[in-house]
Amino acid sequence: MALQLMTERWSGKISVVSIGATKEELGTRTHTIRIGGEESLPCLFQEAPIPNKPAIAFEIWDIAPSDWLDELNKVYGNVLNDPLKWAEKCVKEFKAQSLCIKMQGAHPDFGNRSEKEEAALVKELLKRVSVPLIILGCGDDTKDNLLLPACSEAAKGERCLIGSAVGDNYKTITASALADGHSLIAESPIDINIAKQLNILISDMGLPLERIVINPTIGALGYGLEYAYSIMERARLAALSGDKTVASPFVCFVGQETWRVKEAKTDHPEQGIIWETLTSTALIQAGADLLVMRHPKAVEKIDKYIEELFNHK
Amino acid sequence: MQKYKVTFLPDNKTVEVAKDTTILSAGISCGIFINSACGGDGVCGRCKIILKEGNVATQISPALDLEEKKKNIYLACLTTVHSDLQVEIPQESRMDLNASLNDIFVKSEEVESKEAILSDSIFKHSPLATKMYLELPKPTLNDTSSDLDRLLQRIRKVQALPIMQTGLTNIRQLGELLRDSDWKVTVTLGKRNDTVEIVLIEPGDTSNKNFGLSFDIGTTTLSGQLIDLNTKKILGTKATYNKQASFGSDVITRIIYARQEEGLERLHAAVTESMNQMIKELCSEHNVDLNDVSYVVCTGNTTMIHLLLRVDPTYIRREPYVPTANFLPVVRAAEAEIKINPRGLLSCVPGVSSYVGGDTTSGVLSSGLYQEEALSILIDIGTNGEIALGNKDFLVACAASAGPAFEGSGVGCGMRASSGAIQKVKVGPQDFEVTLFTIADTKPRGICGSGYISLISQMLNAGVIDKNGKIKLENHKRVRNGPSGKEFIVVFKEGADASTDIVISEADIENLKRAKAAIYSATSILVKHMNFQLTDVKKIFIAGGFGTSLDIESAIKIGLLPDLERKRFIFIGNSALAGARQMLLSSDATIQAAEIARKITYFELSVDAGYMDEYMAALFFPHTDLKRFPSLKG
Repeated sequence: MALQLMTERWSGKISVVSIGATKEELGTRTHTIRIGGEESLPCLFQEAPIPNKPAIAFEIWDIAPSDWLDELNKVYGNVLNDPLKWAEKCVKEFKAQSLCIKMQGAHPDFGNRSEKEEAALVKELLKRVSVPLIILGCGDDTKDNLLLPACSEAAKGERCLIGSAVGDNYKTITASALADGHSLIAESPIDINIAKQLNILISDMGLPLERIVINPTIGALGYGLEYAYSIMERARLAALSGDKTVASPFVCFVGQETWRVKEAKTDHPEQGIIWETLTSTALIQAGADLLVMRHPKAVEKIDKYIEELFNHK
Repeated sequence: MQKYKVTFLPDNKTVEVAKDTTILSAGISCGIFINSACGGDGVCGRCKIILKEGNVATQISPALDLEEKKKNIYLACLTTVHSDLQVEIPQESRMDLNASLNDIFVKSEEVESKEAILSDSIFKHSPLATKMYLELPKPTLNDTSSDLDRLLQRIRKVQALPIMQTGLTNIRQLGELLRDSDWKVTVTLGKRNDTVEIVLIEPGDTSNKNFGLSFDIGTTTLSGQLIDLNTKKILGTKATYNKQASFGSDVITRIIYARQEEGLERLHAAVTESMNQMIKELCSEHNVDLNDVSYVVCTGNTTMIHLLLRVDPTYIRREPYVPTANFLPVVRAAEAEIKINPRGLLSCVPGVSSYVGGDTTSGVLSSGLYQEEALSILIDIGTNGEIALGNKDFLVACAASAGPAFEGSGVGCGMRASSGAIQKVKVGPQDFEVTLFTIADTKPRGICGSGYISLISQMLNAGVIDKNGKIKLENHKRVRNGPSGKEFIVVFKEGADASTDIVISEADIENLKRAKAAIYSATSILVKHMNFQLTDVKKIFIAGGFGTSLDIESAIKIGLLPDLERKRFIFIGNSALAGARQMLLSSDATIQAAEIARKITYFELSVDAGYMDEYMAALFFPHTDLKRFPSLKG
C-alpha cells in the first residue's frame, strides 16, 4: 500500500516582494527578483508549491572596510576602494543576481560622507550595474534620516529594497520608500512581537504590508543561530495561520554575522567560507528568502545547494 | 560613635546622624522624603542630591553622568555622611508626600461607585463593634453576685453571646465605675473571631456614639472611611499616597528595605502615621470623639498587612514565597500603633498567599464574584494588580505587578483622583485641540488614572501617537522636547492650576503601556490557564482608584481591558475598601470573607512559560495581535 503523507493546510500565505524594476516597469534593471509567496513551512514541497527560491545578494560597501578578514580582502583586492568596480566584479565575475550596498562611510565614526555624495554614488551604481539593488543605511539614526531619503530619491522608480526601519526610527525611511516606490526592510531584535509591531506601524503609515521584508536579526552558527531559527519558525507559523502582519519574507544578513566569529579568524582560510555556507543552509531551512552574503565561494555552494534542494521532487 | 549634623536645603531641616549613615536615611529620619523607586539599591538614580558643603563617601553609579558629577551631584542612597553636611535636594528628587496629604485633607473626597455601596445591603447588619446601654439591678444582701457576673448576666439577657472576655483593665475599674454611674453603663462589645470581648465600659448612655473605620492600604494609595456603625452611614472617605513610597515604589523593594536597620520600624511608622493623621482628620471633620471609635478593619496586599502589624515580610520574597500569616487574629489597634480608643480592636481581612492578599478577598466579597452563576472576573488595577476569576463554584487569583502609573504616581503630571484631576479628555483629530473634564470641574492641576487612559486613547485616535506610544505629531505648538524626551502639552500653564504646563511625555506613555500590558497579560494568561477563552467571561468587574469613573471604551482602545461586549463591564471603584466596610458592618460578611480567602486558589504567573511572551505582545496599543481587538477595526 502506498504511503499516504499527512499534509497541513494553511490559511495564510507569505507575501511576494519584488526587487528591481525592469524597463517595462519604467525602471532600468535587466531582471526582477521575487521572494516570498510560501504557503507552507520551509521545504515541505509536498504540502504546497514554493513559487520562489531563496535569492542571494552580494554585500558591498561604499568605503573600503577596515575590519574585513584577509580571506575576503584576497577575493576583492583593489576593488574594495571603489564601490563601482566592486559592484561590477560581483556581477561580471561572480554572476551576482543582486547587490546590497551598505552606506557605512556615511556613519559619523567612519568618515561621515554626506548624503549628497552617497546619493550620487547610488545614481552611478545604478548606471554601472543592472541587477536589483538593496540599499542599507549606516546604522546611525540621525544620519540615516538624512541619508536614506537622499538615496531613496536617487533610486526612484527602480523598486529597490531599502533599510533598515527599526522600532525607534521608522517614519522617515517609510515615507521615502512610499514616495519613491521602494520596498522596506523592517529590522527587529530576534523578537516576533517587535517584528509584528514594526510591520503594523509601517503599514499604518500607508506602506502596504506586501512591500515589507523582515530582518529578524540572526546569529551565526554557534552564536545564537537556534534563537533566530525558532523566531523565524514562530513567525512563519503565525503568518501561515493567517496573521498578515507577520507574513513578510525574511532577509538574513549572513555575511556580516559569519565573518566576525572567532572560527572565521583561524589559520584555516576555508573555515570562514564553511561558516557562511553552513549558517546559510540552516537559515534557508528556517525560511530565509533573501541572503546577503560576502564570499563568492560560499555563494557558489549555496547556489548549488538551493538548486539541488528546490529541484528535488 | 561619631555623629554629624546634616542640613537639608531648601527646607533648612537639620538632623544628627551617625557616621556612615546614608543621606537617604538621614533625610527620612527628619521627614525629608527623597525619591527612591528602588528603595536605596543605587539602581533607579532618582535620589539625586547636590552636596553644598562637607565630606562624603560614595560609590560609583552609572546613573550619574560626568556633567552631574562636576556639579557635585550624588545619589543619596549610595553616599554616606563623613562630616557635617549641607545638602540640597533638587526639585526632581523631591517626594512631596506632605503636600499630597494636606491636599487630600482640604480638597479631596474619593467618590465611590454606586454598585459598591448598594451591595452592602446583602449582608445582615451586625457590626463588629456594638454598644449596649444597660441598667443593672443593684446588688443587695439577697443578690450578691459579683459586679462582673452581674454585668455579664445583664448582657446575656439582651443577647445570647458566646464566650465573653474582658481585660483586666476593665475589671480593675469596674467596681467604682458601676457605683459612680448609678449602675447605668454602656458596654462596647467587640467581636474577636468566635468570641466576644467587652472592649469598653462607660458611664451613662453613649450607645448612639458607635463608630468604626475601614482602611484599604494600597502599595501606592491609602484610603480610609469613617462609618457610623449604628446607622451604617459612611461619614467620610479620604485617600492619600502611602508614605512608604519613599522607601521604594513596589512591594519587593519595600521588603528588601525592611531588612535594613530600623527598616521595618520605619515602614511601619510611615503607614501608621498617615493612618492616624487620616483618622484624626476624619473624626474632627465629623465631630466624632476618638474614644467612640472602637473598631478598625484593614485590607491590603499581604506585604502591606505585614508592615502594618510590624511583622517581618522577608519570606514573602524568598522561595517558596510563604508569608508569616494570611489569617491574622484580631488584635488591639494600639498594638499596631493605630490611635483610636486605646482598647479598640483591629481586624485584618484574611489573605490568600504572598502576592494575593486581603484586598483581593475583600474585592471578591464586595463584587459578589463568589456567588455569580456565570464565569466572571475581577480586575483590581493597582500598583500590585490582582485578578480573580471564577464564580460560585471556584475562585482562582493571580497578581500582576503593574506599577503605580494608574494611581497617578511615577508619571510626570500624575495625581490622585481628587479635585482638579483631569479625568476625561477629547483631542481634536485635525487641530489637536484638547477639551478637558476635571473632577469637581475645577481648573486642572494634573492627570489621574482615568484621565491618562482617556488621553492615550484620544491621542491614538487623533494620530498624535503611534501604536507604539511614540509621539508622531510634528511641528505643532503642543509638541516639544522635554527633559525626558518628546512631550505633548495637554494644558498650557495659563489654563492650569499649576506652575508649569501639564504634559504627557513619551516616558509617561511607556510607563502606562507597561502597566496596562501587565494587567492585560495577567488577565489573559489566567483565563487561558483555566482552559477558558476571554469571550467565555460574562461579567468583568473593574476595581481601582482611577477616578470617579472609568471609560470602558478608552480602556479597551488602549488594550488595558479585553475587547468584549461593553455591557459585560461593571466599574466598582475601590472594591477592597468596600469589602472592608461590609465586614465592619456585618459579622456575616466577615465569615464569608474567611470562606472566600480559603476558597481562592493562587496561581503564580512567574511559573507560566507563556507569561513573558504575553506581556511582550501586550506592549503595544492595543495589542500586537490586532485580531484580539476586533471591535477596534477601522
